[in-house]
Amino acid sequence: MKRPSHTAPMRRPFLRPETIVQILTIFALLAIWEGVARATADRFVLAAPSDIAAYVADNAPLLWRALCTTFLAAAQGFFWGNLAGFALALAAVLMPRTERVLATLGLLVFCLPLVATGPILRVLYGPGNGPQVTLAALAVFYTTFLPALVGLRAAPRDWFDLVRSYGHGRLMVLGQVRLPASIPYLAAGLQIAAPAALLGAMVGEFTGAEPGLGVLTIRAMRALDLSATWSIAVIAAGVSVLAFHAVGAVGRWLDLSPPSVLLAPPVDRRPSIWQIGAPILALTIALALWQGLMDLFDLSPFFAKRPGDVWTYLFADPASAKHRAILASAFLQTMTSALPGYIAGLGLGAGLAALLTLAPRISAVSMPIAVALRSIPIVATAPLIVWALGRGTTGTVAVVAVMIFFPTLVACLHGLARTPRRILDMFASYNAGPMRRLFHAQLPAMLPAFFASARMAIPAAILAVTTAEWLATGRGLGALMATTASTSDYGMLWSAIALIGLAAIFAHEAVAVVERAVLKRTSAEQLAA
Amino acid sequence: MSFITPTRRRFLAGTAASAAAATLHGPAALAQSAVTLQLSWLHSVQFAGSYIALDRGYWSEEGLDVSLQPGGPNAPVEPPVVAGSALVGISAADYTAAAVNQGAAFRIIAVAMQKNPFAIASLPGNPVNAPVDLIGKRIGMALANTPVLNALCAINGINPSEIEIVPTQYDAAPLVQGQVDCLLCWETDLPVAMEIQGVENVTMLLADHGYSVHSQTYIATEDSLANRRAELVSLMRGEVRGWEAYQKDPEAAAELTVGTFPNEGLDPETQKLQAVRQVPLMFSDLTDEHGFGWFTDDTVAANVETLALLDTPVDPALWDRSILDEIRG
Repeated sequence: MKRPSHTAPMRRPFLRPETIVQILTIFALLAIWEGVARATADRFVLAAPSDIAAYVADNAPLLWRALCTTFLAAAQGFFWGNLAGFALALAAVLMPRTERVLATLGLLVFCLPLVATGPILRVLYGPGNGPQVTLAALAVFYTTFLPALVGLRAAPRDWFDLVRSYGHGRLMVLGQVRLPASIPYLAAGLQIAAPAALLGAMVGEFTGAEPGLGVLTIRAMRALDLSATWSIAVIAAGVSVLAFHAVGAVGRWLDLSPPSVLLAPPVDRRPSIWQIGAPILALTIALALWQGLMDLFDLSPFFAKRPGDVWTYLFADPASAKHRAILASAFLQTMTSALPGYIAGLGLGAGLAALLTLAPRISAVSMPIAVALRSIPIVATAPLIVWALGRGTTGTVAVVAVMIFFPTLVACLHGLARTPRRILDMFASYNAGPMRRLFHAQLPAMLPAFFASARMAIPAAILAVTTAEWLATGRGLGALMATTASTSDYGMLWSAIALIGLAAIFAHEAVAVVERAVLKRTSAEQLAA
Repeated sequence: MSFITPTRRRFLAGTAASAAAATLHGPAALAQSAVTLQLSWLHSVQFAGSYIALDRGYWSEEGLDVSLQPGGPNAPVEPPVVAGSALVGISAADYTAAAVNQGAAFRIIAVAMQKNPFAIASLPGNPVNAPVDLIGKRIGMALANTPVLNALCAINGINPSEIEIVPTQYDAAPLVQGQVDCLLCWETDLPVAMEIQGVENVTMLLADHGYSVHSQTYIATEDSLANRRAELVSLMRGEVRGWEAYQKDPEAAAELTVGTFPNEGLDPETQKLQAVRQVPLMFSDLTDEHGFGWFTDDTVAANVETLALLDTPVDPALWDRSILDEIRG
């Protein structure tokens, strides 16, 4: 049978038109960049591409060693983090009753702020790259766990029934149906994970480490050395883009055939008591783990506050009212940036994904920029964005939106590509226009991926807003937690962590409610029927 | 945290080799007791006295195998010292006082920076030469340092509300870009960076206007002071010798620093300028008479007074000179 023309293989000339457009655009952007940098040289914001090239040439051995150090830690973290994320997803699928508890626990671990984990990891590991590897692993495991979970369930009901009808059990279903179905989703997760691992390793170096790209960044920014700062940012971004595409290529190589039916995850139909019960159970387990792990590693109560210490600090101390007031006002400041940024980032990501589906040519230009935007470490982008947009709420909102935008875009593009061929063929045979196809076939198919990224974006928003507050604006929870380094007020730090955890769970449940409501209307069965 | 447990051993095994390469060890010698000195920041000439002690074998003479653990933006000094993974940490009197108020049992056993390095940096066209010049200016600083500015104002009779605080991260860019008129920073880093980049600047040391807070202080726990005294004395003796060698030739110390850390991206010119600039902060008539790291009841009393203004009330017993006394012997 002849395949529809828009996917038919064509004879490709050596340089495709898109490639030429891409190269020209890159040159044009470089020229603009050079011009702007030259014009604003006395303001110390932007380094010119020529200066960056000169710096890299002069310091190649140094940069190479730093890159190897950071990359090694990132690669180890990438491996362990993804293994953990995938194992957790497997456990959730094989034991469906544990899913919501596991997902909530995963979210809580992912939300642990670096300000708290960094010093503890350094005390646990001592010298070496243990903290960098662990922070890189923590940076990726949740963004792999969620898509893997969606993917492991993303097979039509009748396939499961078929395998079961031959008398096979869960393991056979796993091997024959679930694992193959999960590959495309997993590929999307791993793609997002690649830049995140590098970022995690760089931030891990802030805990006092052998010199990698993170250490060089701190040094360069303090030295007002623009060429160095931008060179490192460009290298980090370049490596991230390469890793992103390498993982993508492996994913495409494995994902041979487009799906023939709509593969939406089943809508959760469990009784409503469980909806409330699961987060409460997860919270209880989290509290037990918090107390238990700190006791197990015998961490000093001076900096490792237990749940009971936090309770005392907030409710049973003469200064409790003051502590609560400080915490509440910081939380409010943080939320005024985080919430608009979260919504803007999700909207932009999904919107651009839809736009790229209508006009695929833009993709050649915009994807590399989107990847680069996300890959430049937030420690470098946050101050730049704040310089550009001011130290008020706008700057912080933009930082949050940029952080969320990219993973959402990638996830939504993958979701759009999951639109069943059968349905696209039907739209084509009725001569339906691209808009109609988008709204009635592709967007509904995108929704599961969109909601997965809406969940993923919760911790990403928290990370972005607290980092921007820490490094640039000096307000909100991020700044409050960072001052612990000088005040040793670890009661406040752990109270803030607990509050962030609760807020994350609350946000997660809110997204789940919307997700259930929407997926009920656009659910797979109706479209596939 | 649940993922840390099962994989930690494997990480440790996998990273053992790089860990050995990451920290500096003195000349190999068996039967030496291993101790860690936790630095307060990334490797730089700020800790050059320690590098000299390591390079010249001052510590191995004492039977001590010292590891220098670098700090960073997310590496507070107090936790590893409390946890015992570092014997001594390099902190500051205000940080230590706050930690003690939060229940940590620290003592300050020596003071590297007699004069506090906090300074107000400004540009020559719109300079801040005295506290009174701050009135009506926009100052870029971390909000966490607001108490420092308030204390300076209180000492010099200035109303802090007449100064506009702009929260910035710790770099010189906002001053150079004109977003602020002055910066609260260390005398030895951002002003040095600006000078190296060709940006002329003016600095005013807070210490010259009544702000008395010891900085780069050596802290140890009361437990170590009671039970690991010999190691503390050996560690600090090597440290004192290293810094006294530093005083004789700061530029050579800067060269040693750059040579010791070829992978850290240290700029030789910056390190030399910083090395020279920190000399008047670390050495004085007091140290010339009694040796590096010294403090007296009078300097401690001045600290207690300033710390009270910083809202960190502190007992003079926080300072414990017994280790230095033993070294002076």
